Amino acid sequence: MRALGPGSVSSFLKVILDVFHVVLWVSAAGVSIAIVGVLLLSFEPKLLGSHLTLDKLRIEGPWLGPIAAATLLAADLYLAGAIVIVDRLRRIFRTLIAGDPFHPDNVRRLRVIGGALAVLELGRYAVAAIAHMIFHGRLHVGGGVSLTTWFAVLVIVVLAEIFREGARLRSEAELTI
Amino acid sequence: MPIRVRLDRLLLERRMSLTELADRVGVTIANLSILKTGKARAIRFSTLGALCRELDCQPGDLVIFEPGPPDDPDEDALQE
Repeated sequence: MRALGPGSVSSFLKVILDVFHVVLWVSAAGVSIAIVGVLLLSFEPKLLGSHLTLDKLRIEGPWLGPIAAATLLAADLYLAGAIVIVDRLRRIFRTLIAGDPFHPDNVRRLRVIGGALAVLELGRYAVAAIAHMIFHGRLHVGGGVSLTTWFAVLVIVVLAEIFREGARLRSEAELTI
Repeated sequence: MPIRVRLDRLLLERRMSLTELADRVGVTIANLSILKTGKARAIRFSTLGALCRELDCQPGDLVIFEPGPPDDPDEDALQE
């Protein structure tokens, strides 16, 4: 089975990424609507419900609305990062289907993916730190430092450099008569 | 780039058109234009040989060195 070109594995993966992209957008839109809803309902706490359970922490009272909105906002930002990554992957796969993997734009796209992955990971640490400060350690967010993610970031940075060299060779080949 | 291709001068001397040379050598007119305008990065020995054969010249007649600023190997659209 071919890896590049129409009807190849790349083409199949592009379809999966397209579907995933739509699902992420729908999810992000749903969460955004939920944020607005929660903020509006926070003026009338009775409609919002009696309490919110995060991990083993029970939140109730006047802070219920803002904390629920902040939690949803964090989820929305995470989804936004995922959308950026999947969108760039779709564009890279588009060039793979066209049989042009060393398109110069793919270098920038890979750098954006690596950067977005790093920002998402750092954002997770920030959310964990804020949650620790606010709830005095009663709420645990995330699972500590993810070595897999940082390894992936480094691999993507190296891949971007490999693609840069590939794009340079492609450019030279185009101007070799 | 300090390397200059004197294809236009040789064509003029041979009273040959770019289209005719392209047909004889088996290279597209677009690629010969790239070579003629000095935009080419490299030339294959096979192309050089075919050009010399059809233009009845030596490689040194086609390609000359003129001292000037060195070419930047990374100058292309990759600078982001």
